[in-house]
Amino acid sequence: MQFAVDRVAVHGRPGLRVRGELDIATVAQLASSVAAELAASPRTLVVDLTETTFLDSSGARQLARTAKDAAAAGTALQVVCPRENAPVRLVIDLLELQRLVPVVESASLSGGEVGS
Amino acid sequence: MTALPTTPTGHPPSPAPDPLRRLVDDEVLARCADEPIAVPGAVQPHGALLAVTERDLAVVVASANAADVLGTTPATLADLLTPAELDRLGEALAGDLVEAGPMRVAPGGAELDLVLSRSGGLLVTEWEPVAGAGQAGAAWHRRLPTVLQRLSAPTTLEGLTAVLAREVRALTGFDRVMVYRFDAEWNGEVVAEDRRADLEPFLGLHYPAGDIPAQARALYATNWMRLIPDATYTPVPLEPPLVPGTGRPLDLSGAMLRSVSPVHLEYLANMGVTASMSVSLIDRGRLWGLISCHGYSGAHRPSYADRTAAEFLGRTASLLLHTVVGAAERDGMVAVAQREAELVAAIGRTPRTPAAALVDGDRTVLDLLPAAGAAVRLDGRLHLLGATPPAERVAAVVPAVLRAGGVTDRLTLALPGFDDVADDASGVLAVEVGGRRGDFLAWFRPETPREVSWGGDPRTSKVTDGRLSPRRSFARWTETVRGTARPWREHEVTAARALAAHLGEAVLARAGEDDRLAAALQRTLLLEELPKVPGVVLGARYRPSEADVVGGDWYDLVPLPSGRLAVVLGDAAGHGLTAASVTAQLRHALRAALLRDEGPAAALAELNRLVAALLPGEMATAVVVQLDPASGELALASAGHLPAVHAGDGAARLVTDGRGPALGLLDDAGYPQATLRLESGDRLLLYSDGLVERRDRPLPDGLEAVRAVVAGAVGTPQEVVDAVVDALDPAGTDDVTVVGLARV
Repeated sequence: MQFAVDRVAVHGRPGLRVRGELDIATVAQLASSVAAELAASPRTLVVDLTETTFLDSSGARQLARTAKDAAAAGTALQVVCPRENAPVRLVIDLLELQRLVPVVESASLSGGEVGS
Repeated sequence: MTALPTTPTGHPPSPAPDPLRRLVDDEVLARCADEPIAVPGAVQPHGALLAVTERDLAVVVASANAADVLGTTPATLADLLTPAELDRLGEALAGDLVEAGPMRVAPGGAELDLVLSRSGGLLVTEWEPVAGAGQAGAAWHRRLPTVLQRLSAPTTLEGLTAVLAREVRALTGFDRVMVYRFDAEWNGEVVAEDRRADLEPFLGLHYPAGDIPAQARALYATNWMRLIPDATYTPVPLEPPLVPGTGRPLDLSGAMLRSVSPVHLEYLANMGVTASMSVSLIDRGRLWGLISCHGYSGAHRPSYADRTAAEFLGRTASLLLHTVVGAAERDGMVAVAQREAELVAAIGRTPRTPAAALVDGDRTVLDLLPAAGAAVRLDGRLHLLGATPPAERVAAVVPAVLRAGGVTDRLTLALPGFDDVADDASGVLAVEVGGRRGDFLAWFRPETPREVSWGGDPRTSKVTDGRLSPRRSFARWTETVRGTARPWREHEVTAARALAAHLGEAVLARAGEDDRLAAALQRTLLLEELPKVPGVVLGARYRPSEADVVGGDWYDLVPLPSGRLAVVLGDAAGHGLTAASVTAQLRHALRAALLRDEGPAAALAELNRLVAALLPGEMATAVVVQLDPASGELALASAGHLPAVHAGDGAARLVTDGRGPALGLLDDAGYPQATLRLESGDRLLLYSDGLVERRDRPLPDGLEAVRAVVAGAVGTPQEVVDAVVDALDPAGTDDVTVVGLARV
């Protein structure tokens, strides 16, 4: 799958859908997309990894940076990664990324359902 | 304007909105452009024309007023000239006619200036009475050296054209003298003016290209001077109208008495002009502009000598144009080149961070050339300076402009879909930076709604009865031109491209240097040989990434004061020099923390605090085990790292307890610690994600594969390590590090 970061609306909130392999070669695209979104200081931002097929440490590091940047911008970040996407979800779980940012099964209005 | 026939000509070449959108169709325009201005078949009445054969001076064509002007109807020039004058004529014909100058003759008693030229194989003689001509007098001509000095003194175009207008008016006595400059689309602008004090100023007014049709411009580029002493004149026909023998009308393009288009006379009348003269300004063969002279109070005819002097001033100014325009241009070029050099020097001082050199320095990329905003995209990071569209629009606009050639001064008119950025980016100059795909430099210029003051509404030329009629109103008419920015100059584009090329080289050079440094640094992270620890057998394998960049893996063995052994395997996120440098710091910090001998969990918590404080934005994972070789007691703590494999008794399991968050994720984190026993014959395997990371194999499957291979492996820890690497067949895009340990 060709890597792409698409702007999407999730329940009317701004979101970025990350498709393909998020790794050292593509991570800059996510970084610039996130920077563009956070520039507007939205109240919430969803990063959807449902269709992300691969996540390496550089990609995970960018997710961590994104979480910190969002916090600094006053934006509530939510990462969507269902358990069915095991290759990506396992990386997130190993790093315990959910201690920094809510990782949920699917985008929800409440922002609840924080992953384990 | 003087001598500016009014018929509109072809369409401007630019894709800009044509402010002069014509109310005429192409066919009429084409016919108009064919109007025979060179062969009008008539002359103006302030002189007589005789076209004669050069061999015997027999009259072939004569203007109908010849008898009035000359006092006789000659059959040959011998009827008009004395033998001495005929001799002088013969000498003139033998030489260069252009240098001959007028002959002062008096065939019927009245003095005439006789001017010679050639056309269609005939000698054209024009006879202009001296009486009735205005004379600037000898005083002006004595001042000529001073005038020339004044003309050549100014270093600016404004200075040169102002002197020119003033001196031509002093010389010729017209009510108004303007210097008129053409733009790239042949619209004209009055750039200098000298006028009678009571006249309304025309300075700064624009005139549409259509006021001077193409064929008139072509004529003006070769013929320096035109004169209409009386704009209400009645043309005097040539007889016969066609030259006998050729059947064609006489070409008068080089004749001073040439009759002009009736449309042009109507145009002059509409402007209230009663007498006019114009001198071409020609810069290196191209018509640059005109000196345009207006009389408003009846007929006015400067003497032939004064006209020649005015033409001389025009020719002299034409030669100077190039140097003054060039001087102004050179000043701009020197300034841009200087700033380019400063930026290149700044990059050279901080080659590791070229973006910072361009964005944060005293001189930024925005200072390179006159622009309101700039964008720098390097290593995939976008930096904006000054007034630019928002980041995500810059990311869309710049690649589009690059595909379209990289330079536009009318973005919204040239490319669809960018109307929202017209305010900040009607002008875009973009250049790619090599070395990294998608990196660029870009400059933005805002839309400059230009107020253009036209001398009359340029759209009022109309077709009536299949003929164009000239504009009737010349009241000042202002128009706003939208969607365009100040054009990018050639030297500005050149400087931008040069800077980008330099930057591309710097980035490439840096990448190569980084690789060498990182590889050297990485070697220091690896152990020359595994230390000999009593009671422990170790195996290790490090395989660097096959890509040119170095990863962030490290491993370490630290004998502790208590006699125990700490084994570390870690992985800093990212590749290249940054990762290698981060790795080096992590390794030494963790070593120091471990030597406190407070256990793996405490050491990781300490390391995490250090990463959060000193390496913000970085992330790493690590697993630390601490083995008591005597008892086999083993403590393990992991910071986000892949689970270790513990094998014994023909089975293997992933160690999933003793886990905490990756290093750098949280400012402060506590780490749990797992405790297990490494029995004699058991093995423990630690590894980096390079071992299991393959695009075609999901991570859970990779972990299971490691577990399975370790479970089935026999031999020393080194043999197990080698077996695992062989079986897993890692992709090679990342470092692979595997460490195995067992008790003796």
